[in-house]
Amino acid sequence: MRSYLSSLARFLRAEEIPRWFGLSVVVIYLVGLATVTNLGIAGAQREGTAYYRQSARFALAQLACRLGQQFGEPEERVKNYEHLLRNFAAHVPVEVLRVTDGSRIVASTRASEIGADPAQVSSVTAHASSAWTFQLPLNDLTAETKTTATAAWRLVAVLPTELPLQGGFSAYAGILATVLVLLGALFVTYRCVREQLRGVSRIAHRLETCSHRIAEDLTALRITDTNDGVVRAWNELIEFTEQLHGVAEKNEANAELSQALLSSGNDSLSEALNAVPDGIIHIKNEDCFGFVNTAAAHILGWDREAYRTMKLSTCVAEGYGSAVIQTLRDSLRSDGVFDSHTKLITPSGDAANDTTYRLWVLPLPRDARNGECVVVIRDVSQQIRTDRAREDFVTQVTHELRTPLTNIRAYAETLSSGMFDDPKVVAECYNVITKETRRLSRLVEDILSVSQLEVGSISLSMDRVNIRTLLEEGVRDVSGLADEKNIDVQLVLPSKMEPIQGDRDKLAVVINNLLGNALKYTHENGTVVVGFQQTHDEVVLTVKDNGIGIDPADHARIFERFQRAPDPDALSQPGTGIGLYTAREIVLQHHGEITLISKKGSGSTFMVKLPYEPQRTEPPVSANR
Amino acid sequence: MARILITDDDAHIVRVMSIWLSRQGYEIMTARNGREALEVLDAGPIDLVLSDMNMPVLDGLGLTQEIRKRGMNDLPIILLTARCDQEHLATQLLEYHAQLAPKPFIPSQLVEQIGALLHAAATS
Repeated sequence: MRSYLSSLARFLRAEEIPRWFGLSVVVIYLVGLATVTNLGIAGAQREGTAYYRQSARFALAQLACRLGQQFGEPEERVKNYEHLLRNFAAHVPVEVLRVTDGSRIVASTRASEIGADPAQVSSVTAHASSAWTFQLPLNDLTAETKTTATAAWRLVAVLPTELPLQGGFSAYAGILATVLVLLGALFVTYRCVREQLRGVSRIAHRLETCSHRIAEDLTALRITDTNDGVVRAWNELIEFTEQLHGVAEKNEANAELSQALLSSGNDSLSEALNAVPDGIIHIKNEDCFGFVNTAAAHILGWDREAYRTMKLSTCVAEGYGSAVIQTLRDSLRSDGVFDSHTKLITPSGDAANDTTYRLWVLPLPRDARNGECVVVIRDVSQQIRTDRAREDFVTQVTHELRTPLTNIRAYAETLSSGMFDDPKVVAECYNVITKETRRLSRLVEDILSVSQLEVGSISLSMDRVNIRTLLEEGVRDVSGLADEKNIDVQLVLPSKMEPIQGDRDKLAVVINNLLGNALKYTHENGTVVVGFQQTHDEVVLTVKDNGIGIDPADHARIFERFQRAPDPDALSQPGTGIGLYTAREIVLQHHGEITLISKKGSGSTFMVKLPYEPQRTEPPVSANR
Repeated sequence: MARILITDDDAHIVRVMSIWLSRQGYEIMTARNGREALEVLDAGPIDLVLSDMNMPVLDGLGLTQEIRKRGMNDLPIILLTARCDQEHLATQLLEYHAQLAPKPFIPSQLVEQIGALLHAAATS
């Protein structure tokens, strides 16, 4: 019962109802409709019948009176009776009207009955309630005619079993039925429409209740318990709005970031960008510079505030700036979008000595129509120089290795040819081979040291080193070159020299490099002086020459790997650019230092300071810069 | 007897080639760089120049250009180089009718090469 009521409630609300309920409602409705219609019709019939009976009885009574008033001969009387009966039957619906004299039917609307015995006519005995009998009152004025007329003359009326319905009653029933059908149709229509609108009404209801929360929580507006077409569309709309909301938030964040980039001053992001050593330029579009950091402004030679009003198409700059601007203009396509680009800029063309920048143009893919890009400018001079120097080094090393090899080979071939048996010549061959072999092996040691230094795997085997012996051997090693150029090599040593802790072979390399340089870069008939001093905590070796000297601007550079002084007089001598680099590394490994005093044209003095004993507590300083 | 000019700033090379070539009977003149070589050339007739490529003052290429400028177009020139980046000069030197030879070299082969050049120059 409860479920029926709840189903009924849902039905009225035009919601989903169980099929059985729907069918039962339809059945009940139809049954009710039929019942009402039948009742109506039956009621109408009853009323009609009752009315008829009343009227008919009265009319029949009147007829009986009239019948009784008929005079004349029996023949005539019968004819009159028939006439009257027929008249009556034409206006009042009766089944049969007959007049009986007790023993036989005298007159009747049914002609076949006339003369028959009334008791034998079946319709008299059956349906007693539907047959009325009226006594004919005879006229008392003519006693003569009262012959056989007795009180037994009767009028018998047999009522019809079915009365036609009054037009009025059937009309009422028809109208009632029509109205009920219309109501039913209306209700069904109402239900269908209600169903369609249900989704909309839920939405309206939800909006009403949750409208104040739209701003924070769009999802509250979703409707999850209904699933018709309108509600689905609504939910999709909510989702779409959420997405738009998310995009709007992201755009807001991006706009904030752009704003941060734009504002120069105490903003932490632009501070960070200004601290970056690379130049960074943010270009919003071809007519607007978004941000230029300090490094970029410096490279381009711009005032940091001036760029705000500059346009790419019209701005001018000098030096590197003009090359940067030109590259940007070249990268700009006709549709305002930048192409990705990278380029080396060396305005003066002299990559070896000038600053070279690598420029990256990085279009921002966010919105290709905008023509937004970021430009990065990085100083790659060091890298370029190192790469160039490394190439030069390989070339130079090949040449330097081949020179002693040429001599060794030529003199060895001379010996092995057997053509020259002059003992002086033979001795000369052996000498040259020996000397050049030593030169070659020292060069190989230098190269080996350089690669060890690059890898960081140089290791010192420490021992007591007698500096005097070291220096004397070093001078002897270069005596050949000294003799060739007629350079006077002097050893100025004190009588007492303390030994130091160091790697003997490596220190020999240092001395050989310094002496070799001194002789190489000194003209003929020059002088090289090797000195030695000691203090209480260190020793100082000096190698002083009166050769071509080194410009102070190049003092730092010549100690760099593969670097030589950019001085034509120096470059005319063969060199690999690793001698001083190796020497300094070795000295630093000994916790010492090398210093230089020199001016162009007035010789050079190299000073090597070494502690008596390198400190074990500190790790060796690696100068792999 | 043919006169050969040997030019190199490395005295050992000059010496060893002098030994070999004088053994062949050639007369040997020497110089330490391109400028000295030109002085020797101006002083007397030379039949072949054997020179190092890398020398101070005036290098092998400069010497070659100077020799051709002086109209000595038939003088055979052999240039020795130890550098690996000078192979491209070989084509350039063809213009000057000079030959490039690598260092290290085998003296006997160089002597043969010199002999062939002198023979060709003498017969043409």
